[in-house]
Amino acid sequence: MGMLKDEDKKYIREQFDEKLKGPVKILLFSQKLECEYCQPTEEILTELSELSDKITLDVRNLQIDSDDAKQFGVDKVPAIILLGEQDKDYGIRFFGIPSGYEFSTLLADIIDVSNGKSDLPEKMVDKIAAIKTPVHIKVFVTPTCPYCPNAVRAAHKIAMANPRYIKAQMIESTEFPHLANKYAVYGVPKTIINERVQFEGAMPEAAVVEQVLSALEEPGA
Amino acid sequence: MEFSFSVTGPPKVDLKDSYDVVVIGGGPSGLTAAIYTSRAQLSTLVVNKGAPGGLVATTEWIENYPGFPDGVAGAELGRAMQNQAQRFGTEFASGEPEEIHLAADPKVIRVAGQDIKARAVIIATGTTPKKLNVPGEREFYGRGVSYCATCDGPFFADKELLVVGAGSSGVQESGFLAKFASKITIVEFLPTIQAERILIERFKKTGKGSFLLNQEVLAIEGEETVTGVRVRDRDSNEEKLIPAGGVFIYVGLEPQTEAFADQLKLDQWGYIEVDSNLRTNVEGVWAAGDVVSGATRQIAAAVGSGTIAAIEVEHYLSSKS
Ligand SMILES: Cc1cc2nc3c(=O)[nH]c(=O)nc-3n(C[C@H](O)[C@H](O)[C@H](O)COP(=O)(O)OP(=O)(O)OC[C@H]3O[C@@H](n4cnc5c(N)ncnc54)[C@H](O)[C@@H]3O)c2cc1C
Repeated sequence: MGMLKDEDKKYIREQFDEKLKGPVKILLFSQKLECEYCQPTEEILTELSELSDKITLDVRNLQIDSDDAKQFGVDKVPAIILLGEQDKDYGIRFFGIPSGYEFSTLLADIIDVSNGKSDLPEKMVDKIAAIKTPVHIKVFVTPTCPYCPNAVRAAHKIAMANPRYIKAQMIESTEFPHLANKYAVYGVPKTIINERVQFEGAMPEAAVVEQVLSALEEPGA
Repeated sequence: MEFSFSVTGPPKVDLKDSYDVVVIGGGPSGLTAAIYTSRAQLSTLVVNKGAPGGLVATTEWIENYPGFPDGVAGAELGRAMQNQAQRFGTEFASGEPEEIHLAADPKVIRVAGQDIKARAVIIATGTTPKKLNVPGEREFYGRGVSYCATCDGPFFADKELLVVGAGSSGVQESGFLAKFASKITIVEFLPTIQAERILIERFKKTGKGSFLLNQEVLAIEGEETVTGVRVRDRDSNEEKLIPAGGVFIYVGLEPQTEAFADQLKLDQWGYIEVDSNLRTNVEGVWAAGDVVSGATRQIAAAVGSGTIAAIEVEHYLSSKS
C-alpha cells in the first residue's frame, strides 16, 4: 500500500497532465538517522514523482551533500526545494513533511514552478520584482490547519516573483518545536519576514505583499 | 505514524470571463450547489476565501452527517465535497471578490482584478466565529488566544487551557484539545451547559475537564503569551483569575455578509432573508446554508439548502434561455 489513495493519484495525474508545462525537479534533503519524518517524506515524494514524467526526485543527504545544503540554505531536514527548467531555483522551501493540507500547497507550487509563474496579479509581481535586498519569509504551519496553505502559497508566490532575492519557507511547527518556541508560535499560520515583521492568520495576498515591503523600510523611517 | 495528504486546491490559473453560475463561499452549502450545477452542465465558479469545506474543515470530527457510521474527519469531508465538485468541472478561485454587483444582468464579480460575469449567483458565505470583545483578546491572538482547535491544539501540550463557551462547538472541540492539554476548564456565561449530552459525557470521560458556569469573562491576561483569564461570577459578583496557557473561544457565530450588506435584504442580525425557494430580494441571486436567516446551522441542513438553491438556479436559467 502506498501513501496516496488510488483515486487521489488519478486526480493528481489528471491535474499534472493538464497543467504541467516544463520539468520540475523536487530536491529533497534528508538523513537516515534522527529524522523521524525523512523516510515518510521520501516515500510520498517518490509516489508523487511517479505521477508525471515531467517530475523528477533528487534525494541528497544533509551531511554528505553539505555543500549543496549550504547553497540552498538548508540546515534541517526533511527539506524540499522545487527547481524549474534548467534547475532554476524559485525560492520555494518546505521544512518538514508536506502532509495534510500542505500537500495541496506542494501540488499547487509544482504546477506554478512548471509554468514558471504563479497567478499573483501583475501589479503585485511588479512591486515584488523591484526589491533588491534579501527577503526571508518563514511561515509556520500545522498539517491540520486549513487556513495555512493560503499563507504558505502567498509567501511562495512572492518568492517566485523575485527568487534571486526572496526565499520563502514553510515550517511544520510540530517537527521543529525549538523553532516554534524561538518564534513564540502558539497559533498558525504565523508569518515572519526578515525577523522584523510578523503576523498571524492568512492575509490576502495584496496585504502580504505590503508586509514584505514594510519589512524592508529603514527602522524609524 | 499516520499521515493524510490533501490533494485539493491546485490553482485555476485562468478564469473565464463568464460563468452560468458563480457561487460565493466553498463550505458544504456552496460545494453542494456547485456539484449540482456543474453536473447539470452549467459552467460554475466557486469563489472561496476559506478552507475547502468552509467551517467543516476546522471541525476535528463529525458524527452526525449521514453516510459515515463511524464519523468522518471534518477536513476529509470538506475535501471530498470539493473533489466531487471538481470532478464535474467546477472551477475554483481562492480569495474574496473585490467587487460584487448583484443587481446587474449579467451580474459582475471582480476576482483577482478580473471582472467575471455570472447569469446567476448563489451566496453561501456562512458564518465566522464571534469574538468575545474583551481586553486582551486581540492582543494575545496567536499568542494563546485561538478560535481553531484543530489548527493550534498541538502548541498546548501539557498546558492548562480555558475554553470559553459550553455550547456543542466548545465542548466538542474541548474533547479534541484534551489530547494535548493537561487540564481544560470550560467557562460558560449561562447557568447551564448548552451542549449535546453525548458531547458532555465524552468530555467528562477525558478526566481532564471541568465546567465553570454562570461566569462572565472580563479579560484575557498575559505577558508574552496568555497566562490567565479574569472572570466574574454572575451571582456573587466575585472576580477571580483562572491560570491558563491558552484560551479557545467558541461563543457562537456571526454571518459573513458585509460584502453584500447594501445590496441584499438582511435580518436584524445580518443574515440573508430569502423566500421558501431560497431566493433573495434580488433577481438571479440565491442564498444557501448557514448565512440564510433562520437556518438550522448543521452540515446536513447546509447540504440540503445548497441542493435547493442549485435546482432553483437550474430552472431559472433554463427558463431564461
Ligand atoms: C466548531 C464547530 C463544530 C461544528 N460541528 C458540527 C457537527 O459536528 N455537525 C454538523 O452538522 N455541523 C457542525 N457545525 C456546523 C457546520 O460547520 C455548518 O453548519 C456548515 O459548515 C455550514 O456550511 P455553509 O456552507 O453554509 O458555511 P461555511 O461552512 O461557513 O462555509 C462558508 C465559506 O464561505 C467562505 N466565505 C465567506 N465570505 C466569503 C467571501 N466574501 N468571499 C469568498 N468566500 C467567502 C468562508 O471562508 C467559508 O469557506 C460545526 C460548526 C463549528 C463552528
